Amino acid sequence: MANNKAKVAFFDFASCEGCQIELTNYGDKDFLELLQHIEIVEFREAMSEKTSDPIDIACIEGSYTRQADCQRLLDIRCRAKVVISYGQCAGTAGINALKNHQADYQSFVYDRDAGMPHLDSDNAKPISSIIKVDYQVPGCPVNRYEFLDIISHLLHGKEPVIPNYPVCVECKRNETICRFLAGDHCMGMVTRAGCGAPCPADGIPCEGCRGFVDNPNQYALSKVLHEKGGLSLHRAESKSLLFNANERDNANKESEID
Amino acid sequence: MNTYFIKESDFNNFIDNMLLQLPVIAPVLSSESVESFFSFEFLKNHDELRLDYDITILPPKKAFFPPRQVIIEFSHGKFHGTVNAKKQVLLGVHPYDIKAIDQTDFLFTENYEDINYTAYRNATTLVCSNIQTISKRAFWGSISHDVPARGHDAFLTKLTDLNEAEEEGYLFEVFNEKGHELLSFGQFLLATELQIQQAKSINESIKDKCPQQLNYSQDEMANTICRSFNNTALWDELAQDCFSCGSCNTTCPTCYCFNVEDSWNIDQQSGQRTRYWDSCMTEDFAKISSADGQSENFRKTTAARMRHRIMRKMVYLNDKLGTQACVGCGRCSIACTADIADPVNIIKRIMEEAANDSL
Repeated sequence: MANNKAKVAFFDFASCEGCQIELTNYGDKDFLELLQHIEIVEFREAMSEKTSDPIDIACIEGSYTRQADCQRLLDIRCRAKVVISYGQCAGTAGINALKNHQADYQSFVYDRDAGMPHLDSDNAKPISSIIKVDYQVPGCPVNRYEFLDIISHLLHGKEPVIPNYPVCVECKRNETICRFLAGDHCMGMVTRAGCGAPCPADGIPCEGCRGFVDNPNQYALSKVLHEKGGLSLHRAESKSLLFNANERDNANKESEID
Repeated sequence: MNTYFIKESDFNNFIDNMLLQLPVIAPVLSSESVESFFSFEFLKNHDELRLDYDITILPPKKAFFPPRQVIIEFSHGKFHGTVNAKKQVLLGVHPYDIKAIDQTDFLFTENYEDINYTAYRNATTLVCSNIQTISKRAFWGSISHDVPARGHDAFLTKLTDLNEAEEEGYLFEVFNEKGHELLSFGQFLLATELQIQQAKSINESIKDKCPQQLNYSQDEMANTICRSFNNTALWDELAQDCFSCGSCNTTCPTCYCFNVEDSWNIDQQSGQRTRYWDSCMTEDFAKISSADGQSENFRKTTAARMRHRIMRKMVYLNDKLGTQACVGCGRCSIACTADIADPVNIIKRIMEEAANDSL
């Protein structure tokens, strides 16, 4: 991969496509520099061409939410040497999974269009529930520099390093005052680092948008959010639903795997 | 070397004159929300200096061993080291942190000298200052208390509780040439015997004022903790609420583990090698690769990592250091969101358990 330009394609499923837009935020100079090293063969945010050829790196944004998408995912997997789940919707179904435990979400979200057949969907699941995923770029949205780091490692034939330590480590390295000590709450203790902890540095709690570390202590999370963070027992227990509904101890694991 | 005195009214000039010649890293107010938080930063002027700080979020070792340090830059197949230490002053370091720096000085030079550390350490003039405000989780009065603070170049003590006739100011003890050089920045007088005695009594009497105490000898603690190694139930209990977040390690003044990572710039030809503070409480710290792309983690559980942390602090390093690798600053106790990291609580729990068992 090091000598020839790697063919990179972007695909999207249930998502806002904000993670793909994030890539265009490099600005002209850096984005064009990146194109010296990779060849983007499909990326609907910035080009109209599509490809049905083999690809080196497939970046897939969005969750798997309906059976009709299964074949498309399998087709991408068959054509791609490396599959990257790009963003939290693809990685864990992120914020999309909020609907998985709410039977009445359609009427709130779509109002009188709730019954339209094209809005019907199943539980939101990570793309890894259908295909093998090689690497994950976490985040809602992704951090484009982290994506660049992963791509760079792959271009150089190295294994990308995605932290399995929580945001607290980065807050400490930044010497950011802990939200709990500032009389606030935070989800940084269970959330995968790699973002550089910008939210607590700006004085707002980590909401867990990058998903959990491999083994989050969810029992202690509820306890600390309640006892130290001042959240009600119910709020403390449900707090991690926002970005981690599929990852929680009590998530319906069956629906994830099918 | 002599002992000097500088009047309160001359002190700001001393700081400002020093700042004209040298970068000075010192405690400043970092933020005031529910309470005041302090950090060691490059001082801009004398107004920022807060020698009345209780504790800083990160220890002052960051002046020689930053949380993130680019150690090599590379480009088109060539590389160069980026260590570029310039003379600087680290001022306002409390005695417990001086003891911790003394430990890292030893650990970064034993067997193999870590030049990324020693270059900055050697370029730094280290000025200790007396503790004016005691942090609410401090226990330096009862751990490593018989170990002298050493390795600093000068010691500044603010003289308080004086008679009306006595001049307000600071006692300034100079231990070597590095400390002596600072005298040129201020109007220093030779200290009187009375002033020397006053400073001594200030620094002695504060030792009993820590809010927390550990009333065991170093050997008692080391032996009992060592014997508790296989008390699985105890370590499980102590680690039950642990997030493996590493906050206890990453705020610890005696922790010195780091990880090294390479990263490429967007041009894919240039980049840097960066070392980061690492933490043995995080899940993957002890994960190593084995054959066939497999891996092995030899401290898989939070309990195993908690035990390792306490063993490192209280047992394993004692022979090398002549003391525990804990100086009682209490930073880990403050930083732990689940409030399970406090060595005082942990050690008391272990000691009580052992006492009950032997009944």
